[in-house]
Amino acid sequence: MQDIENEIKNLIAEIIEKDPSEINPEARFIEDLGVDSMMALEILAGIEKKYKISIPEEKLQELRTLSQTVLIAKEYLDKK
Amino acid sequence: MILKDKVAVVTGGSRGIGRAITLMLAKEGAKVVFTYLTSKKEADSLVREINNFGGKAIALEIDIRDFEKTKLLIEKTKETFGTLDILVNNAGIVKDKALMLMSKEDWSDVLDTDLNGIFNVTRNAIITFLKQKSGKIVNITSITGIVGMARQTNYAAAKAGIIGFTKALAKEVGNYNINVNAVAPGFIETDMIKDFKEEYKSRIKENIPLQRLGATGEVANAVKFLLSDAGDYITGQVIVVDGGLSIK
Repeated sequence: MQDIENEIKNLIAEIIEKDPSEINPEARFIEDLGVDSMMALEILAGIEKKYKISIPEEKLQELRTLSQTVLIAKEYLDKK
Repeated sequence: MILKDKVAVVTGGSRGIGRAITLMLAKEGAKVVFTYLTSKKEADSLVREINNFGGKAIALEIDIRDFEKTKLLIEKTKETFGTLDILVNNAGIVKDKALMLMSKEDWSDVLDTDLNGIFNVTRNAIITFLKQKSGKIVNITSITGIVGMARQTNYAAAKAGIIGFTKALAKEVGNYNINVNAVAPGFIETDMIKDFKEEYKSRIKENIPLQRLGATGEVANAVKFLLSDAGDYITGQVIVVDGGLSIK
């Protein structure tokens, strides 16, 4: 779990061009980190590619924090 | 073949301009999924014609006014052919009437199919294009959306709406390597104008600098240009294919 959280944190950091240390698990993407809808989509696509999973587009609305994103990634990794 | 193995969706592909576009795509090597609503016979015969020359095409009965159905259209396309590269929003209907005689239903039917249908299909396709950072969208509008034609307030409003949609989306998704353009046909020999009186048709021809109606294949050629590599640096544009009718 910790590994995945770190991997996803690094992936998000790269997409939103911030230092990984700025991305706290509960920091809100839009309000605290300035993530826009296109960045959220890139995060989703990046996770799908990295873990070779497919996450339904509807889940895009639920990517609100790092911890939520990790939970969603875990959910679909478990289904793999 | 300039579109070899590309996967394309065409709405309203069984007749008229849509048929010519579907045929062009298949001839250029693309795998095509096209929709129809009422013309099952024409759709089946087009699939056979394409299969006969070794092309690949599937016809789906889809009402593009139904958001969930258009979602299925995109899912089914990706399931069958693995991806989606090209979307041609062509499906459209006309209900020409003078505004003073136009019912609310005449207005809504045309707007629902011609404009809301484009939202439905494109909304369901765009995430795929964004994720893969590539895609080409061509929307079929009409010169009536640019210059206006009497007795077509509903159709002209929908077609002008398509032009706005095209330009806005082109700006929105340009940095994802997605091209969004429109093609605006003038008077083309299709079922849409088959009921025009001969006298009216000759009057139209007199007003067209090239002095004739257009062929559906001539519209498909403009679509082909936009979808080919030759169109890679073109986005947010409206290519008019009308024999010069709308020259100001």
